[in-house]
Amino acid sequence: MAGINGISDGDVISALRRQMTIAAARQAASAGNLANVDTPGYKAVDVSFADTLDAQVATHPAHLGGATQTGVHAEEIQGADARRDGNTVVLDQELLKMSRAAGDFSAAQTALAAKFRLVRYAINEGR
Amino acid sequence: MSTLNNAISASASALSAERTRIEVAVSNMANAESTRSANGEPYRRRDVVLTSDPANSFDAAFGHASATGVKVASVVVDQSDFQRRYEPSHPDADADGFVALPNVDQSEEMVDMIGAARAYQANLAAISMIRDLVAKALELGRS
Repeated sequence: MAGINGISDGDVISALRRQMTIAAARQAASAGNLANVDTPGYKAVDVSFADTLDAQVATHPAHLGGATQTGVHAEEIQGADARRDGNTVVLDQELLKMSRAAGDFSAAQTALAAKFRLVRYAINEGR
Repeated sequence: MSTLNNAISASASALSAERTRIEVAVSNMANAESTRSANGEPYRRRDVVLTSDPANSFDAAFGHASATGVKVASVVVDQSDFQRRYEPSHPDADADGFVALPNVDQSEEMVDMIGAARAYQANLAAISMIRDLVAKALELGRS
């Protein structure tokens, strides 16, 4: 099993998968904020990358590869300036966050595709 | 993937809510001079009330990352006073020669319409970004 894990690099793959999961969660959080840009009293939410990563890695060393998206939480942004209607969504910031999340996702996807290509290369005996 | 599906349905709900706002603003502008409506008095301007609507209440209940959609809670009728204009020749003028006109302010409606159009554009941009993400994820399955 160690040999297979060495080739497929389970830890790296699960880390990349986690990055994609978090990027998708941030994308969804920002999409929700954008949808509510004109809802009175709506408070913008955000997925904190560092907190989420810590929460997932800290559970147990053996869980590194088994962590799923259940640990991804969206929380209201504290201390944000509200408009007169109590809404804390900033339109351009949310679009920026979406672009950034798309970049993160794309980067992880590219790395993951490269990993899978290596595995396929090994399976096909280098052909 | 369900996260991204939620995000798309949240953005889609916003598109329809913003379109309702534009429709209401347009009908307010169209009726800016309507001195008679079905109940006999001049037209009263309408306002859209938006409220957030969890796209996936199951995820939201557990505090999981899930996009929050938006929906039109109600369309309320503005009860503020009518404008009055001196125009004795108008068929709806009162004894003093004043006509009661709808409580519609053109500039207010324009600002509302621009705001709604901007929000519509932003949500459209969000949908296309999420769609790119899904397409990118599906590329992993290609050999």
